[in-house]
Order: sequence, then structure tokens, then C-alpha cells
Amino acid sequence: MKLLIKNAAKIMMFLLATIIITGGATSCKSKKKLAREKAAAEYATKVEQSKKDLTAMLNGTTTWTLDEQDARLNTIKSYNIDDAEVIDLISKVETKISLDRAEEQRKSEEDRLRREEEERIENAKSKYQTIDNLLSNIALSQSVETANNQIETVLNEFATPDVPVLIIISNAGGFNDYDRPTTISKFLNYLKDKQQYNYKVDIVKRDTLGKIIELELIKKVNK
Amino acid sequence: MKLSYFWIVAIILGLSFSANAQNELSPERKQAVDSLAIEKVRDLSKYISIVGSKETPWSEANRVIDRAEELFMTGSEIGVSSITKTEISYYSVRKYFERLMRLNYKKVEIEWYNIEYMSDLQKQPDGTYVGVITIFQKFKGYDAEGRLVYQDTTKKDITVYVKRKETQIGGRLIGFWDVLLGDMRVKETSK
Repeated sequence: MKLLIKNAAKIMMFLLATIIITGGATSCKSKKKLAREKAAAEYATKVEQSKKDLTAMLNGTTTWTLDEQDARLNTIKSYNIDDAEVIDLISKVETKISLDRAEEQRKSEEDRLRREEEERIENAKSKYQTIDNLLSNIALSQSVETANNQIETVLNEFATPDVPVLIIISNAGGFNDYDRPTTISKFLNYLKDKQQYNYKVDIVKRDTLGKIIELELIKKVNK
Repeated sequence: MKLSYFWIVAIILGLSFSANAQNELSPERKQAVDSLAIEKVRDLSKYISIVGSKETPWSEANRVIDRAEELFMTGSEIGVSSITKTEISYYSVRKYFERLMRLNYKKVEIEWYNIEYMSDLQKQPDGTYVGVITIFQKFKGYDAEGRLVYQDTTKKDITVYVKRKETQIGGRLIGFWDVLLGDMRVKETSK
């Protein structure tokens, strides 16, 4: 009987040890599986999110700036996702970002040139504004004497009283249509007679002494 | 060699096309030329008013007569009428202005209005555009006491000639529209 009890106890110990060993191994195996499954799920989420982001960037439906898109693309590339669709999308998005950057640079260059042109026109305007004002003042003179005095002053700006004055009446269709050319002396007297200045100085050519040797005006269209 | 001929022909064709395109008027350019001709008539109106005014210094009046003459074709005549006479007298441009300067009134007021095309500018076979502009002139003459002693309203037709010409200025070939006025004929005179 004692032997039976002793053996039973051994058997129990053995069974217990087997259960513990077997149970422990099973538990370890289950944890690894869970970890694998979790990693797989995370990977799948990453792949899906990457596809979603890349598609948005490709379709231009994202609000990210080009720098933000570049950063996101680099992050996705760092995942080293082994998925044909993602690899294809990465390639396309890289091309798109590159094209968008070129377009952005082109627009930026265009803006710069436009600003420079506007600045040039503005400078030209202010440069010729003085001459426009001088001519306008002759037309608006209150008396013949005042006008004649102003004509004398203005003529000092010109190399001779016979400096040619060209008046553009139309530049439609890429052609400059001119009125019959006149001289500055006749034109200044004409302004005095007409008492109107419906022109805008367009081109002023000067000699080495700074005197005007040719004046080109644009006739304003009467509304 | 054949290629050289090709380019020569191409350049000649290009130049002739460009010259032709500049002579052919688009509606926009035609409008500018129409306005230019009207402007010349307005200039004449201003000159008549300046020369007619007794306040205009003699030297100024003479300078303006020179400018007025430049508006007309050589040999053009200006018609003069009166409500007291049935016949219409025609004078050369200079003669007309000299008579205007010497009118026997203390003060003269001349105003032109309703300046408009009666006949649009039409291209002639020689390339000149010809049209007729109608004007109405109101003339008022005052005596030394400032009394209005004579007035009339005259309707006049002015023939206008517009031709494209070219000139060299500062080494550049400038194509311009030369507007010249022809005869100014009296159509109606009323009080």
C-alpha cells in the first residue's frame, strides 16, 4: 500500500511536471504567434495607409505642401514595403513631386519676371511722368504768355526745336500706326492751341548730353 | 543653292505679306484712322476759332494760319456764305484765314459742333481712303458795344483724304497715316 501511494505520488509529480512543461511551451508558442499576428496587422495597416497617402499625393487631393509630401514619401520609402502596388505608387509619386517642383519653380520664375516687368513699367512711368506733366501744363496754361514761357522751358530739355515727335494712334494687331510725324516745337504749340493733353509719353531718346532727340507718345483713346 | 533660292523667296513673301498687312486695316485700326481724321477737323475748328478771335495776338494768329494750311491738300478751297447773300464764295485756305483775321467785328465767336462722318472713309484704287465729314458752324459777330450784330449757322462738308506713307526717323522706317483735308463746301446757311 505504501508502495502504491509512493508510486502514485511520483506519477502525480510526473504528470504535474509534464503539464507544467507542456503548458509553458504552448503558452510561449501562442505569444510568438500573437506577436507575429500583431506585426502582420501593423504591417498591413502601414501598407494600406501608405497606399492611401501615395494615391492622395498622386491625385493631388492632399493639402500637404510639396515639402510635406516629400517627407511623407521618404517615410514610406523607409518602410521598405515589399508590395508591387506601393512600389509602383512610390515611383509615380516621385515623378509627380519632381514635376510639381519644376512647375512651382517655373511659376516662381514667372512671378519674379512679372514683378520685375511691373517694376520696370512703374519706373518708366515715373521716369516719364515729369515729361508728361510738363507737356500737360502747357495745354492747361491759363494764357498764351504763360504757355509760351512754359514752351521755352520745355524746349531746353530737347536737343533742338526740330526734334521729331512720333504719335502712336493705334497699336492693334501688333502694328504701330502713327500720325504724321511732327517736331517738338510744333507739337508744344499744338498743345497750347488745343488746350488738351491726351497723350502718354512712351519712348524718350536722349543724346550724350541728356537732351531729348526723339519723343514717342501714345494717343489716349477718347471715351 | 536651291535652298538659298527658297529662303530668298520666303523672305520676299514674308516682307510683302508684312507690308500688305500694315496697309490693310482691321476694324480696330480703321477706327483709329477714322478718329484721327475727325481729330484733324477738330484741330481746324480750333484754329478757326483762334484766328477769328480778336484777342489772339497777330503773331500767334499767323503761326496758327501756317499750321492750318498744313492740314489741307494744296489747292484746297473753303466756302464762305452769308445770310445776306445768296452766292457762296470760295477762297484758298490762306486767303480764307486772312479774311477771317480781318473781319470787321469787335468780337467774333465761332463754334463747330456735330462733327461727324457723312460718308465713311472708303479705300480708293490708289490706296487712298476718302470720306466726307459734316460740321455745323455757328458764327457770331459783335460790335464795339458788345451787341450781337450778325449770326448764322452753316452746314459744311469737308472731304478728307487719308493715305499711308513712310518716312525715315532716327534710322527707323516709320509708317504713318497722312490725313489731309480737301475742299470745304457750304451745304446750308441759316440764321
